[in-house]
Amino acid sequence: MKYSPLNNNTQEKIDGLSIFLFIVLVIIGFLSISSATSDVNQEFYSLSPIAIKQLIWIGGSIVIIFTILYSNVVVIDYFTYGFYAVAILLNIAVLFLGREVSGAKSWFGFGGIGIQPSEFAKVASAMALAKYLGTYGIRFQGARNITICLLIFLLPMAIILIQNDTGSALVFLSFFLVLYREGLPGFILISAVWLMFLAICRIVSEATGISSYYGYGLLLGLGSIMVFFARKDRAVSTLITFIAVVSAAFYTIVGTVYSSILQPYQRDRIELVLGLKSDDRGLGFNLRQSKIAIGAGELWGRGYLKGTQTKMGFVPEQHTDFIFDTIGEEWGFVGATVFLLIFCGLLTRIVILAERQSTTFGRVLGYSLACVLFFHLSINIGMTIGLVPTIGIPLPFISFGGSSLWAFTLFLFTFLRVDQVRK
Amino acid sequence: MEKGSKRQIVYIGLIVFVFIVYTLKLASIQLGEVPYKKMAINNALNKITLYPSRSNIFDRKGKLMVYSTQMYDLSSFPYEINKLDTGLLCSILEIDLPTVRHLILDARIRAKKRQKNNAFNNSALFYANLSNKQFTLLRENIYRLPGFYIESRTDRQFATTSAPHALGYLGEADESLIALDDYNQPGDLVGITGIERYYEKQIRGIKGIKTVWQDRTYTERGVVKDTQFNYPSTAGPDVISSLDFDIQEYGRLLLNGKKGSIVAIEPSTGEVIAFINNPDYDPNTMVGRERAKTFKALLRDEQKPLYNRAVKGVYPPGSTFKTVMALIAMQEGVVTPETTHGCGGGYRLGSIRVGCHPHGGPLDLRGSIRISCNSYYCQVFRDIIDNPKYGDVKVGYAALEKHLRSFGLGSQLNIDLLGESRGNIPSVTQLNRRHGDRWKSSTVISLSIGQGEILLTPLQICNVAAIIANRGWYYAPHLVKKIDGFKDTSWDRKYRIKKFTTINPTYFATIIDGMSDVTKPGGTANGTGINDIEICAKTGTAQNSHGKDHSIYMAFSPKDNPKIAIAVLVENGGFGATWAAPIANLMIEKYLKPGVETSKPAMEERLKTSVIK
Repeated sequence: MKYSPLNNNTQEKIDGLSIFLFIVLVIIGFLSISSATSDVNQEFYSLSPIAIKQLIWIGGSIVIIFTILYSNVVVIDYFTYGFYAVAILLNIAVLFLGREVSGAKSWFGFGGIGIQPSEFAKVASAMALAKYLGTYGIRFQGARNITICLLIFLLPMAIILIQNDTGSALVFLSFFLVLYREGLPGFILISAVWLMFLAICRIVSEATGISSYYGYGLLLGLGSIMVFFARKDRAVSTLITFIAVVSAAFYTIVGTVYSSILQPYQRDRIELVLGLKSDDRGLGFNLRQSKIAIGAGELWGRGYLKGTQTKMGFVPEQHTDFIFDTIGEEWGFVGATVFLLIFCGLLTRIVILAERQSTTFGRVLGYSLACVLFFHLSINIGMTIGLVPTIGIPLPFISFGGSSLWAFTLFLFTFLRVDQVRK
Repeated sequence: MEKGSKRQIVYIGLIVFVFIVYTLKLASIQLGEVPYKKMAINNALNKITLYPSRSNIFDRKGKLMVYSTQMYDLSSFPYEINKLDTGLLCSILEIDLPTVRHLILDARIRAKKRQKNNAFNNSALFYANLSNKQFTLLRENIYRLPGFYIESRTDRQFATTSAPHALGYLGEADESLIALDDYNQPGDLVGITGIERYYEKQIRGIKGIKTVWQDRTYTERGVVKDTQFNYPSTAGPDVISSLDFDIQEYGRLLLNGKKGSIVAIEPSTGEVIAFINNPDYDPNTMVGRERAKTFKALLRDEQKPLYNRAVKGVYPPGSTFKTVMALIAMQEGVVTPETTHGCGGGYRLGSIRVGCHPHGGPLDLRGSIRISCNSYYCQVFRDIIDNPKYGDVKVGYAALEKHLRSFGLGSQLNIDLLGESRGNIPSVTQLNRRHGDRWKSSTVISLSIGQGEILLTPLQICNVAAIIANRGWYYAPHLVKKIDGFKDTSWDRKYRIKKFTTINPTYFATIIDGMSDVTKPGGTANGTGINDIEICAKTGTAQNSHGKDHSIYMAFSPKDNPKIAIAVLVENGGFGATWAAPIANLMIEKYLKPGVETSKPAMEERLKTSVIK
């Protein structure tokens, strides 16, 4: 038998805290969906068709859970690359066979239900990456290894970009965060943050008409001062000069792209998120309504089933991407904070579990799960409260939809199963 | 591995960082100052006003005069109709695109006025008074017009077109009315004139509210079940007017082709029985979609059909005023029933000459009324104000003025209509201004025969007739008799106060005897009387600097226990006996003998068909 990091059959207790938090989240999700889609005037508690559908999806995920829990871990390892290949193929196939939903061609339709293969590409990529890095003798070092690692998640990302599902594609960027744990130098991530900061500064200056020369002046000034203090160390002063020049170049490029290449509507969208523009009737309508919904919750919330903003459709996609609005409106600041606490608790728990893995496979899988969930959480909720641009990705375990729920259930429980049999 | 393991802290740090930042942001939204909850409620609820039926207005005998009709308006959220299917709307309402734009702008103005702070979520009237066809089409297609809904309102129909100035018309509440009373919203119909205006608060009823859920497309999603958001409207209480439907219609018919007014009062109560003006307008053209158009046309009309001459028109009362002069003279002790004065075709004093028509011999007081002798009253007038007991003409005149004002002259009678004129009884100051400081009784001699500065409204002339009928007192005339079931009963307090003149009741007998001779042989209105009905009357012919004299007539009947006092004024009608007298007498007959054919068909026919150019 081929070497596998998972061929140890030591039976441990599966992590109960994670499962508990998972169950709590799924129940919160179901209740929120049920409320967001309920009739405003219902006399008795009754389930909307969408809530019933979600119940069916939940039933399906229970099947998935038990299948994983009762299958041999070896099977998981054995099928990893096959699963990855199937996921890639399905994502290519959907380009030709899928149906278009709001501009993106990322859905297979079977009668009344749809399957979104990109959701499964996340867990497939995570497993493939974990397996690759877990292979004996392979580490995140050397051009070939690094290239393969990047390809594992940049390939599905590219395909999903072609599907025109930008939100789902961006999720794959969270794998860079995973690679940090596997040795990706921190300065690369810091550079990314620095460049983002520069880009925002340039956009602000473009949008508000503040001269961009201030930026250049600041870069030049700061660079000069730092070079002056480090003038004795030639290597450091060269590096600082290099950073300053690259920053200035990037700063220039962003300005050009922003003012000459981006379409006006794209600029509007960016400016809206940066708070440079308030447009309550047009583009800003969704954000404004989302804020009204959450704001209407005040401290204690308006009460379950009493959120008019969400169920009356003022909030767009109230049972999918904007499901957090229902939580905010009906359960208030207290409820929303508790919810965040539960979600962040699960994330932290997963990081801790990931770190205690004895195998690279388990660790990478755990960190992938944590990073992807973290990305979803911060983008989705950040969008509803106006901290990040409107990017349409679901809130895991909460938003309506079978693909997302099943893919994340699969993801979580595969990891928990791997954790269960760790040495 | 050691190095990697330490990096765990970075991940947990990131999670904690996001948790803290997001919680702070949530706090700023949910616990901050912005009234998001109010905005959410504004979004989801549409409070649809349930307009009550306005009061039905009945005549004194219970005949319906004005009633409410249901009409349907198209209302909208004018800031939410950006994605409007204008083609559909145009075809349903049968209007063109520029009109739609215009209507949207109008609705936005209304919505802004409605609540100045947050106009986004305000709805406002968009298109008033839908036709049946428009209503049916809209009800079928309203779901295709998000941001629109149908609202029902009440409008008016008039069972009689003869009393537009008394009943009044409705109009859209303007800014001043809204500022005055926040019950009104832009687009609401309120009484603008007449009873509709004066009793607006009683007549309008109480609005109800139906609160409905509405979704993002401003489509109704059912009624809110909470009862605090829903209450029905209350219709206005029945209003019983003092007008007599039949007399009103009859008088309007008699006034055909003539400019003027008829006012009739029940002396014992002050209730106005008839209130007619010509020219007037058809009140049923002042309803519905035509209202604004009609109103503009009426405003431009040179005939001034909107002009309520019965209370706004002021005229010299002419010889009808002699009755009042005679009463004052007796009260002042300068005349007794036996006092006679010669005439000789006119009154001469120095350069002044007041003409008189030919009549025989010196007259006593009763005769002076019957014949309407100018000379007699010039003499009487001088006797009053030159009375030695006052020593000075101005003191004497002031005494006269005081008596005149006790007849309700020179001030508003406080009828339940807005804009009533005071008429004019000149004060000493006014006469000083007009004639210089040194005027004498001969300077203002024309006042004696109801000319000069003295001006009365037709209502005031009628009220004088009522005072004489009552032998010295009156109730302020009013058009509304009763408001059924209206809790606040103080509305008619001022109509329950008996007002007395300064004239001793015993002095009236001679005057009334004189008045009862007027329609008899030898009287100024001989030939216009009605058999079997004793009419006490006084003709008047008011000189008019703009044209032919006005024909004036005031009367009451029967002589004892009078049931009706009436004043008729026909502009440019010449002698009082020519037009005003027959009209008044026919109306008295009609009122006292309801349902009986007139005894003077020829006279009636002449009045109905004649036209004064």
